[in-house]
Amino acid sequence: MNHAVDVKGLRKVFGRSTAVHHVDFQVKQGEIFGLLGPSGSGKTTIVKMLTGELSPTEGDVTVLGRSSERLGTSDFKTKIGILSDNSALYERLTVFDNLKLFCKLYDTPVHQIDVILRDMDLHEEGDKTVAKLSKGMKQRVLLAKALIHKPELVFLDEPTSALDPASMARIHRGLQKLNEAGTTIVLTTHNMEEATELCDRVAFLHQGEFQEIDSPAALRYAYSTHTFHVETFSGEQLVIENEPENAERMKQLIEDGRIKTMQTDHPTLGQIFLKVTGKELV
Amino acid sequence: MRIQRISAIFEKDLKDFMKNMMVALLPVTPVLMTLFFNQSGNGGLPVIMHYLIVGITFSVVTSGSIMTILAEENEKHTLRGLIQSPATLWDIIIGKSLVTGLVTVLSLAVSLFIVGIEPFLNFKIIMGIILLFLFFLLLGIGVGLFAKSVASTSAYLMIVMILFGFTPMITLLGIGEGSVIMNIIDMFPLMQVIEMHSAGTWAPLGVLTLWTAASGMFTFVCFQKVMTDD
Repeated sequence: MNHAVDVKGLRKVFGRSTAVHHVDFQVKQGEIFGLLGPSGSGKTTIVKMLTGELSPTEGDVTVLGRSSERLGTSDFKTKIGILSDNSALYERLTVFDNLKLFCKLYDTPVHQIDVILRDMDLHEEGDKTVAKLSKGMKQRVLLAKALIHKPELVFLDEPTSALDPASMARIHRGLQKLNEAGTTIVLTTHNMEEATELCDRVAFLHQGEFQEIDSPAALRYAYSTHTFHVETFSGEQLVIENEPENAERMKQLIEDGRIKTMQTDHPTLGQIFLKVTGKELV
Repeated sequence: MRIQRISAIFEKDLKDFMKNMMVALLPVTPVLMTLFFNQSGNGGLPVIMHYLIVGITFSVVTSGSIMTILAEENEKHTLRGLIQSPATLWDIIIGKSLVTGLVTVLSLAVSLFIVGIEPFLNFKIIMGIILLFLFFLLLGIGVGLFAKSVASTSAYLMIVMILFGFTPMITLLGIGEGSVIMNIIDMFPLMQVIEMHSAGTWAPLGVLTLWTAASGMFTFVCFQKVMTDD
């Protein structure tokens, strides 16, 4: 399996404080990999080291086959797309003019603007000045800017923070479509629902260290207590362990038509994060 | 360095420039001052006033506009987008300097059309003026990157204008001829071009080159700082 990102023993020190402690991970080609952690956990620092904006204090970073010393080159920059928490647009210019600038900087044909605007559901906003767009629309234009040159690997740092649910859903749809086309995505977020919905694998980052790396489903299963919470029509609250000896009892409840509601106790990623680190994902 | 990337940055900056009233009005200032000087000159200005107009144009238009444009890009994080793109340091510097260069030439041409270009019709002086332009341009870029916010550029621009644009006016403050301050002021870039005009020697061109090199170093250091987050 080819890795889009391969990180070994990555460490970053700012003055006296260590932001990232000897982190190891790989991101497979075509995967959506989520870095989950609260503000200040080191997510953005890791992404900046992967994009060449920060140099590692220690460790090996290989992104799309290039080592950390070669991450600042123009050739590398044409292969990646970045949407960071402080990405911005030229407010006085139109959406089209903003995207035209980046088309030319990335040697991309200008007709690609129409394609990306349609993909982002922004085809009617091309002639509007950026300053007149809503926050959700601006975020989609920023995403369009990061994707206009069809990068192999995209880094998205909190792409939906502070957006309304409708804008968030539109961005999620865009990202899923992009991933289906084969683009690898590294996503940082503290929104566990977003991570559960989008990511193939997630890494829990706490104080610059990885606590867990796995798929959301595997993590939820691993941290489950494997019990069913059953509420019957007669008002009984039953907790039944998912064990072979309870199969007959469950079968009987179903056959008798006594079950009003039944839930498994798979925890959310947020609850798992809290359990592992003792900290909320905010 | 890629022409396509430079022209993309130039095209974007030109559109942005025309919609930015704060910067778009800067080239008018030296022209208005030239008209004022010309009116009060009663049929002919002393040569030093011609150079003062050049100093005002370069400090207000060249340094002022590039400083404001870059500080705004820095403040609004749009510069980060250019840095993250395949554009190199030179693509960004040259692309951003083209609009400033264009409006400086237009503003200076109008001003010199009003007062006359005779004092500058000399190869040596033209060389000096080109170096002086580069000094103000690089200084403006450096300060723009260093400034972080558009609001703070007004203070920096004031210093650049007083020290380097209006240098001949400092001599009118009554500071004694031959004093240490006056000797230092005489070494300033604009005074070196005036010296070139009056003395006719090449030595001031060397001093001017040093000023331009120092300004270039300052810009390079400032750019290196914004290119990475280290």
